[in-house]
Amino acid sequence: MKSCLIVDDSRVVRKVAGRIVRDLSFDVIEAGDGKDALEACRSAMPDAILLDWNMPVMNGLDFIRALRRENGGTKPVVLFCSTENDAEHIGEALRSGANEYIMKPFDADIIESKFAEVGLI
Amino acid sequence: MDDSVIQEVADLALAGSGQHIPLSRSYLIESRLAPILRREGFAEVSDLLACLKARQYSKLHAETVAALTAKTTQFFHDRAMLDRLTGHVLPMMADANPEGPLRIWCAGGASGQEAYSIAILLQESEVLRDRPVEILSTDISETMNEAARTGKFGHFDVQKGLSIHRLLAHFTRLDTGEWQVSHDLAGRIGVRKHNLLDDASGLGEFDVILCRNVIKDMAAPASARGLLNLARQLTDGGVLILGKDETATGLIEGLEPSRDVRGAFTRKVARNALSLAAA
Repeated sequence: MKSCLIVDDSRVVRKVAGRIVRDLSFDVIEAGDGKDALEACRSAMPDAILLDWNMPVMNGLDFIRALRRENGGTKPVVLFCSTENDAEHIGEALRSGANEYIMKPFDADIIESKFAEVGLI
Repeated sequence: MDDSVIQEVADLALAGSGQHIPLSRSYLIESRLAPILRREGFAEVSDLLACLKARQYSKLHAETVAALTAKTTQFFHDRAMLDRLTGHVLPMMADANPEGPLRIWCAGGASGQEAYSIAILLQESEVLRDRPVEILSTDISETMNEAARTGKFGHFDVQKGLSIHRLLAHFTRLDTGEWQVSHDLAGRIGVRKHNLLDDASGLGEFDVILCRNVIKDMAAPASARGLLNLARQLTDGGVLILGKDETATGLIEGLEPSRDVRGAFTRKVARNALSLAAA
């Protein structure tokens, strides 16, 4: 089974996204900020990462830059998932190594469509 | 809503657009007519019917028929088919006809996602990018046509079927949070109102006609009539592409399955020799 790491400081978002991603047959791991997420990746690289932007301790942008420098860190497909919905922010996320971008709010159809877009399903 | 109201609305839809609304899907009636009821200040569907009876064939009548039809669509729906179209079929047609423009018709095109998806693929194709290709999107609903013309799409629409790269390449975000298609893309698309039950000769001939997931909602005699109207607008060698679960087999004499596109049809007889298959 493929695995998906969900990184968001909101427990509610993690729960909602987790439910959707499980329905797509992924194992779900959760992290509340970029630092926790990086530790999770060091112990086992997930296949996919759903990544919030604004988080305490380490934000999404710092996380993905750090991740892509890690050993095996280019393997996970990273989908940013943020309320920062303007072209500048989206462009910055893509330049920093994100594969896709989901604008909040999202629903199950969007997650499924975006997972299909990057070949995860 | 009692059964007599449901029946009256179903009759109205059948006569106006050929749409078949089975009793089991009567829940669609209230949701699809809600915007008209709200706008006109009607409390119930039966109030709207009473008004339509008093003034038959009014603008409101046409709007009601159009509002009942399905509007669900998304960007790059059945992507494999669209890739086949722009990767294989159109380049082949362009080779065979290096002079004139190629013409594509999205019949029942709702708010234009299909037409814009094809326009995006044309822009991305080195073979087709600079070649004149006209894309026409038609729908029975003027509300849908207006949406297609303005080319503004909502937060949820642009995230279903469109990659973020295509979104950034072809759309601009507006202050309202909607996304506006680029000038280049909009320039490739024409939009007109058209009812599939009507003769379409005024629209001209087309090399490719897409009518996907439209006839499945129509009563059998109406869908055959609609298909005949579409088939008569095919160029020699042109293809008619239907939805995955739809077919023209057994409905139209003179069409045969296309050799190039699975699930598509071409004319094997002259245009005026096409006819409805005997029931």
